[in-house]
Amino acid sequence: MPGATLSRWTMSYFAAACLFLLIGEVMMVTGCGYPVVAIDAPETLALVHVLAIGWLSLLMVGALLQFVPVLVAAPLRGRRLALPVLLLLVTGLLLLAGGFGALAGVGVLSPAMLPLGALLLVTGFGLAAAMLAATLFAARPLPLPARFVGLGLLALVATALIGAAFALALSGTVATGPLIRLLVHGVPLHAASGLGGWLTLTAVGVSYRLLPMFMLAPEEAHGTSHFVWWVGSAALALVAARTAWLVLDASAVEEPLALAALLAAAAVILYCADVIRLFRERRRRAVELNIRASYAAFAALLLSVVLFIIPGTRAAAGEGAAALVYLFVFGWLTGLGLAQLYKIVPFLTWLECYGTVLGRAAVPRVQDLVREGRSSLWFCLYYGAVTAATGSLFAGSAPWFRAALLLQLVATVGLTAELVRARMLSSVAEPLRFPLGAPRPNLFLPISRQQE
Amino acid sequence: MTEALNETVCGAIRDALRMIIDPELGRNIVDLGLIYDVSVEDGGIAHVTMTTTTKGCPASEYLKEAVRNCVWYVPGVEYAEVRLTYEPAWTTEMMMN
Repeated sequence: MPGATLSRWTMSYFAAACLFLLIGEVMMVTGCGYPVVAIDAPETLALVHVLAIGWLSLLMVGALLQFVPVLVAAPLRGRRLALPVLLLLVTGLLLLAGGFGALAGVGVLSPAMLPLGALLLVTGFGLAAAMLAATLFAARPLPLPARFVGLGLLALVATALIGAAFALALSGTVATGPLIRLLVHGVPLHAASGLGGWLTLTAVGVSYRLLPMFMLAPEEAHGTSHFVWWVGSAALALVAARTAWLVLDASAVEEPLALAALLAAAAVILYCADVIRLFRERRRRAVELNIRASYAAFAALLLSVVLFIIPGTRAAAGEGAAALVYLFVFGWLTGLGLAQLYKIVPFLTWLECYGTVLGRAAVPRVQDLVREGRSSLWFCLYYGAVTAATGSLFAGSAPWFRAALLLQLVATVGLTAELVRARMLSSVAEPLRFPLGAPRPNLFLPISRQQE
Repeated sequence: MTEALNETVCGAIRDALRMIIDPELGRNIVDLGLIYDVSVEDGGIAHVTMTTTTKGCPASEYLKEAVRNCVWYVPGVEYAEVRLTYEPAWTTEMMMN
């Protein structure tokens, strides 16, 4: 059956994710959240979750629904859950944001929205993790990229559970000692598990497969790549152990995750060495824009993590090392996300539209669905704005931060428009654009059940 | 059908398959080395053994179906059978320069 491994709802996840990215950036431009208010203010928490769940996690879950079957060359288990999971996550996020709004003093909202939102999010992420884990489990022994994803799924579940505990405590639903201790001291653990464990380990795993695919580089896993997995696992285990200690032991004192951060830095340095090696060993001489933009994200990853483990720069980065977290979230995770969307959206669109007429009519290449010249300007503006925003956070200048964010928002809108153009086949020249019999893709909904 | 005629049809099949491109690489699947074997039996029964650049790729089934459709319309072919294999796995060394 043609398209047996084409994920039906991935494009809908991507559309929702891009929408939440734009909402998050508009919130920041308008002064919602840090640095206008404190890093732990409800407004900041709402903003952070719009970006971490609405943008990054929806993007990652949508991408995994498509790529886990590719990683293990096996069909996705429980694929019917894809749409319910999307609805659970979006509804849960809106309730969570509403709960934070109530804590910020928005009268029409209620703090009870927090645990309700958390329940939906835990259910949604739990089902997503179950679908993906069942797919991985059935395909053992796993190749290295899939093992990274497995580790990321564990971190996702842990992050969601810690977050749900926070929601119970913040809303006043439950107020036991261990829960309060976790709320007071556990925020860095929640962030490390989510940004480092779930999002970064998963992105690293998928990139170990996608980079060789797109650059025609050797796919065999090197010793360094295995070492990255082991070191990343050890860092994640330390975070998990620290979380358990905090819950179980009333005498647990707050301490920085210095060892976990060092391990993470070692893993990142080895990972960056790996991606440089893949670039050098590629057989495809022409380097497409998605690859160039991805390497800018790798640079942001290396810089943010190395600067984080240096006490002086961490202290200079503001409350909660905000400048470095910003560089990590927008330079690394968001930069890589946008770069990969720039490849995946045209690729999936090509399959939907031209896959069924291949061999019967002349069709364009995937690359013909985009215009790299204009898009490269957007990526340059995006990374330039992220650099400026990071610098302004180091300098403690809120006005410059918002000015840089405005540029970042413009670049994001520009890149989103390029993705929409790719979906609409706007860049494909006639007569290749609509060959006889080729279905026309919808903007973000599946074409028909026959495409599943 | 003589052996010489079968060879002619095999050549025609390879030529016809050059219209099918790998969507990502933008090159035709014959020059990429994705067609491992083409044979034609008496009676015009064509057998094509092919691979894709990546196992599990969502494009795999589309490419297989495209090859079947394409071969079917080559003069001299009465029936087309296409087999997708990953033994051996495709490598970049299989590409024609």
